[in-house]
Amino acid sequence: MKFDRRTFAKLAFGLLGATALGFSPALAQDKPAPFDKPGQVKIALVRYLSTGDFFQAYLAGVESQAKALGVDLRVLDSKQDAALQADMVDQAIALGVNGIIIQHGLTESMKEAAQRAVDAGIKVVAFDVNVENPKIPQIEQSDRDLARLALEQAIKDNGESWKAGYVYVAGIAPLDRRNETWVEFKKKYSGIKEAAQFGTLDNPIANSVANQARSVLSANPDIKVMFAPYDEFAKGVKIAVDEAGLSKDIKIYSADISTSDIAAMREPDSAWAATAATNPAVVGQVSVRALAQLLAGEDPGKSVIVPPTLITQKELVEKDIKNMEELSAKLPQFAHADVAMPKWMPNPNAK
Amino acid sequence: MRDIAVRYGFLVLFAALVAYFASTADGFVSPQSAVFIFQSVAITGILALGVTATLVVGGFDLSIGSVATSAMMAAAYVMVVLDQNALVAVLVCLAIGVLIGLINGFLIVYMRVPDLLATLGMMFLLLGLQRIPTEGRSIAAGMTMPDGSVAPGKFSAAFLALGRHRFDFFAPNLVPVSVVVLVVLAVAIWFFLEYTRFGRMMYAVGSNERAAELAGAPVKAYKIWAYVISGIFASIGGILLAARLGRGDIASGNNLLLDAVAAALIGFAVLGASKPNAFGTAVGALFVGVLLQGLTMMNAPYYTQDFVKGAVLVVALVFTFALSTRAKR
Repeated sequence: MKFDRRTFAKLAFGLLGATALGFSPALAQDKPAPFDKPGQVKIALVRYLSTGDFFQAYLAGVESQAKALGVDLRVLDSKQDAALQADMVDQAIALGVNGIIIQHGLTESMKEAAQRAVDAGIKVVAFDVNVENPKIPQIEQSDRDLARLALEQAIKDNGESWKAGYVYVAGIAPLDRRNETWVEFKKKYSGIKEAAQFGTLDNPIANSVANQARSVLSANPDIKVMFAPYDEFAKGVKIAVDEAGLSKDIKIYSADISTSDIAAMREPDSAWAATAATNPAVVGQVSVRALAQLLAGEDPGKSVIVPPTLITQKELVEKDIKNMEELSAKLPQFAHADVAMPKWMPNPNAK
Repeated sequence: MRDIAVRYGFLVLFAALVAYFASTADGFVSPQSAVFIFQSVAITGILALGVTATLVVGGFDLSIGSVATSAMMAAAYVMVVLDQNALVAVLVCLAIGVLIGLINGFLIVYMRVPDLLATLGMMFLLLGLQRIPTEGRSIAAGMTMPDGSVAPGKFSAAFLALGRHRFDFFAPNLVPVSVVVLVVLAVAIWFFLEYTRFGRMMYAVGSNERAAELAGAPVKAYKIWAYVISGIFASIGGILLAARLGRGDIASGNNLLLDAVAAALIGFAVLGASKPNAFGTAVGALFVGVLLQGLTMMNAPYYTQDFVKGAVLVVALVFTFALSTRAKR
């Protein structure tokens, strides 16, 4: 074997890699306290909502970032019981955790519990629930940006004048924020006419919305665009559009994404043209990172916004993306958000 | 006069409603619209027919909604994760329906658990059980399993046809499979309950269990059969739901349960029956379907629809309990 410069370089790289691996505990010491001894850091995730793909993926994100940091994560799940969720914060305080992530919940029930945690010297961040506390940073996926991205794509595809069907249920915070953007767009583009508004959260949502959408389509056969800013709505609308045989005449724009959404968008002649989504796993990672920054004495900012990504049918087909994992692998902007990433923070997505 | 009001009042109300929507909502009167109403009530209607069977023996089945969603998850699991064909999926679902019916019946008849409580327990049990195989994920083709591998199967075309194929009837591609299934099951259960010895005996058990027992009827067997029928119907509903959605959706099925029960209770009022009956249940389901279709076409928001649904139910119950003389035995 010839010992030329190239083999030498390879050898050197290999050695370097081995050193890096072998001495990674030493590297960890570069992290600020308390993450120089991450095994002693305990954090708790106190959840209000947990069933469904979004929340599963969110939890996976929290777990992966906690693992990358090496901290001890406790998950407390109140399963939509507001009173229990508040009790769980007290439970976490009693457990002696260093930090708490409050994931969803009601302002009224969580405000005082969150204050008690702050008083106990615990660092707290909140995702998608406003606990009205200046010491608690808000992690948010920007619902307005989600709606804006989807609607901009709708205008790009269909021009500035069309008849729309709109799916909306008032009183759900993220849907209300998405609705604000829709109202703005209608004002800005006078050519966009809302022919019908409908929507329901009756379970299974897609089935109930499909029933409604069928009625709407037969009452308003001239609808060109359906804006359904929640993927369960979009699934229902797509079923109705398919059943009415209109999949080539109508385009659906939505928000959020899951593996089954990807399958529905990829169907031949699918009416579902585009969706804007924030990766729930990334939101979970950002939640942990923001909390870690607080624990290290850094300021992640009052509100930490995770930017959304536009995903079009064309991209899914061209890049042959079939599930969420492939989406993360082939759309890097979806897999990782450069939010709450100080230099010392380990990136759980790095291979 | 009073008798006529009780007997036909509800049907007149139904006709008036159809006439009202026909004159106010564009496109309400068309074969497509009619078929669509049937389609939108097909799944809840099938569940309602099942629960009617338990009402007939004086019982109640709260688990039908979650039986349906469990069957939906099972169908998706069998095809997507286990990579089996449509026939296997359907058989597994039906087997689940039978099994749950047997367990419900066993709990109620032999363990003496009151029907509402036994089936309530079963409802919760199934809500949890349907999530266990996938650790809470919904099932879709190409999904990632908890262990990181990708599910190998997909919904077979034959299975999806159950939700999407349409038969030619008057117009080409008009009647979906689910509507045919609804009509067939409705006629079958109507004939079974009204005209077979087995069905009449179920009514006897329901009206006076002790008398039926003294007359030598195997009361326990009839009751268990009623829950098995309910379980099978609910699982058929779940199969159709899975075929329509094309995926296994984490869902409680509570709305399916409530709508189905509403349809069955509205059915009490039809033709002044004052008792559970298959024809009434079918009319009740259609009534709710017509209401929702018409209101949606007129752009009424979802909460008014719930309100109207509730109002109809109250009116129907008044017909049943206050106006009917037969109810005052």
